Amino acid sequence: MCAFLWAERMLYNMADWKLHTPIGMTDILPEECAKKKEVESTIWSVFASFGYQETETPTFEYYDVFSGGGKFSTGLSQESMIKFFDEHGRILTLRPDITTSIARLAATKTEKLPLPLRFCYTGNVFRAEQTQGVRQREFTQAGIELLGAGAPTADAEVIAAAIEAILALGIEEFHMEIGQVAFFNGLVEQAGLDAESIEKLRERIDSKDRFGIRELTESLELEEQIKDLMMELPYLFGGQEVIEKARVQGLNPISSAALDNIEKIYSLLSAYGFEKFISIDLGMLQSIDYYTGSIFKCYTHGVGFPICAGGRYDRLVSQFGRNLEAVGVAFGINRILSALRHTEAEHTHKVSKTLLYTEKDADAVSYELAFNLRINGCLVEQYLLDETYQTAEAYAKEIGAEIMIRAFADGKLLIKDFIRNEIVETNVVDFIGYYAGEDDDDCGCGHEHHHCDCNDEHCHCHE
Amino acid sequence: MEYLTVALAKGRLAELSIDLFLQMGMDCSEMKEKTRKLIFTDEVHKMKFILVKASDVPTYVEYGAADIGIVGKDTLLEENRNLYEMLNLGFGACRMAVCGRAEIKDKLFGINNLRVASKYPKIAQSYFQDEKGQTIELIQLHGSVELAPLVGLSDVIVDIVESGKTLAENGLEVLYEICPLSARFVVNKVSMKMHTDRIMKIVEFFRERIV
Repeated sequence: MCAFLWAERMLYNMADWKLHTPIGMTDILPEECAKKKEVESTIWSVFASFGYQETETPTFEYYDVFSGGGKFSTGLSQESMIKFFDEHGRILTLRPDITTSIARLAATKTEKLPLPLRFCYTGNVFRAEQTQGVRQREFTQAGIELLGAGAPTADAEVIAAAIEAILALGIEEFHMEIGQVAFFNGLVEQAGLDAESIEKLRERIDSKDRFGIRELTESLELEEQIKDLMMELPYLFGGQEVIEKARVQGLNPISSAALDNIEKIYSLLSAYGFEKFISIDLGMLQSIDYYTGSIFKCYTHGVGFPICAGGRYDRLVSQFGRNLEAVGVAFGINRILSALRHTEAEHTHKVSKTLLYTEKDADAVSYELAFNLRINGCLVEQYLLDETYQTAEAYAKEIGAEIMIRAFADGKLLIKDFIRNEIVETNVVDFIGYYAGEDDDDCGCGHEHHHCDCNDEHCHCHE
Repeated sequence: MEYLTVALAKGRLAELSIDLFLQMGMDCSEMKEKTRKLIFTDEVHKMKFILVKASDVPTYVEYGAADIGIVGKDTLLEENRNLYEMLNLGFGACRMAVCGRAEIKDKLFGINNLRVASKYPKIAQSYFQDEKGQTIELIQLHGSVELAPLVGLSDVIVDIVESGKTLAENGLEVLYEICPLSARFVVNKVSMKMHTDRIMKIVEFFRERIV
């Protein structure tokens, strides 16, 4: 009977939609949310320490911002954007990335600011497609954009900030792979290929498909060493020696300049002490219609996709009416969470929790106490149910509270420390008084100080 | 050392691939026996081999659940995943083709709303739409595609042709060839960077044996 009902429901699509989130959208529960916020704040503080200022752009924008008005590819397909109309019939889209919005912002609203501009952001982006590991249609990105600086030092700064952020997250095994799309652009210009053949060749090189590259280049009228180089491109990855291998006779100026550029970026990052994290991959050619110079991706264990990616996009801002060279990087927060799960390290700082049990008519005492603990950085939760102290204590254990305080109307306090399994009796005046009297290492409450995660300056027993 | 996981498309491709891994000295002989197991481990070389449905190989590899995959080009074209396609292994050679009754061949590209049945909707769509500029009505099937034109479900089919025997027996023939197919050696993009030496060693070994 039950199975029959289920089948019938399925047949008539009778799902109770109010109980569900739409496909690809999800809730984030407290435990996951705490980790996510910590990752975001770690990344943010590294970016901020490099002088990047936080900006926010709208969650949805005119579709034209991302479509490039048909004249320019932002590297995002029409199908990948979630679109709707405003009341005037204009097409709106939930932002598929934030870089494009920041390019618009920089082009239209920052004329009076000195260059370079350093912006950082954390926000959710939306994609309609289901490939690329984003089964989620909404996911969080955090990133930086450095606008108005075209030198290799700018590329190196962005990559360095990304590496520092990854290290700050506690990820130690990772590879930052750096490519240069202008090298390939120089080669195909030399070969005189049309747009369609370029795209085919780019795709085959990016897939490291030597067989496919040979098929495409065989018929070309090109110097042999350039053809060989195209065949070799997928395997031109590794350390600095890669640049020397690529520097063959007969390169055109664009390709040569690209090699000089990536060599400079590589040597800057080595000088910063990052040589062990970085390598070069001249065959990395994703989204070349968007990127114009260096591109980079960072890989680590536990997640089959790059945890961050970025590059130089000198032509994007001009789409919005101002010529600004730009380079940036974006982190996929969800991918970082997967990577951290793989390392199985405990990354969340647990703030110890205190549960406060208010006896009859002790509300004033209780609140006064809670207020004083809270302003001193403690997490105090009030027990709200009308139950006995014993029931409350069971609840305290369930929620992982380390301390439980029982407040009485006359100011008496019974403080139970679950870790040391002892109870101390004091009263609210003394207790708060000790707080006011700071710096006093011996608080007199009768038990030793032990480490409190939430704030090193005061001791646990005060809770 | 972390395990390297190889996803093999169940069937003949898996058998031929296993031979190559055996030649490399890896212990995956157990896979040649009749067993219902789907995962096999070589502790010495820290390798895992998994047997999955052909069309799932690119998914396993793209997500990094497998580092390496061996799968037909047809599946790669249909799935269009973001991965490294390192080698054309040569075996499992066949072709993707438009097949139907001989008499339809000449008028094929003029038929309005041509009905095409296929197990490969993306390849069929891309061939007619992008290559030939023709809008078609696509009928997705999951097996015995040859039947579709015989019972009037479709005008033609897009399918893999090996010897052409099945086609002939059903009064059909290859009308237009779309592309040649064979087994490919694919690698997850992150794995390539995180295990470059180990993966390149396998790639080089395989390459020497196929050229």
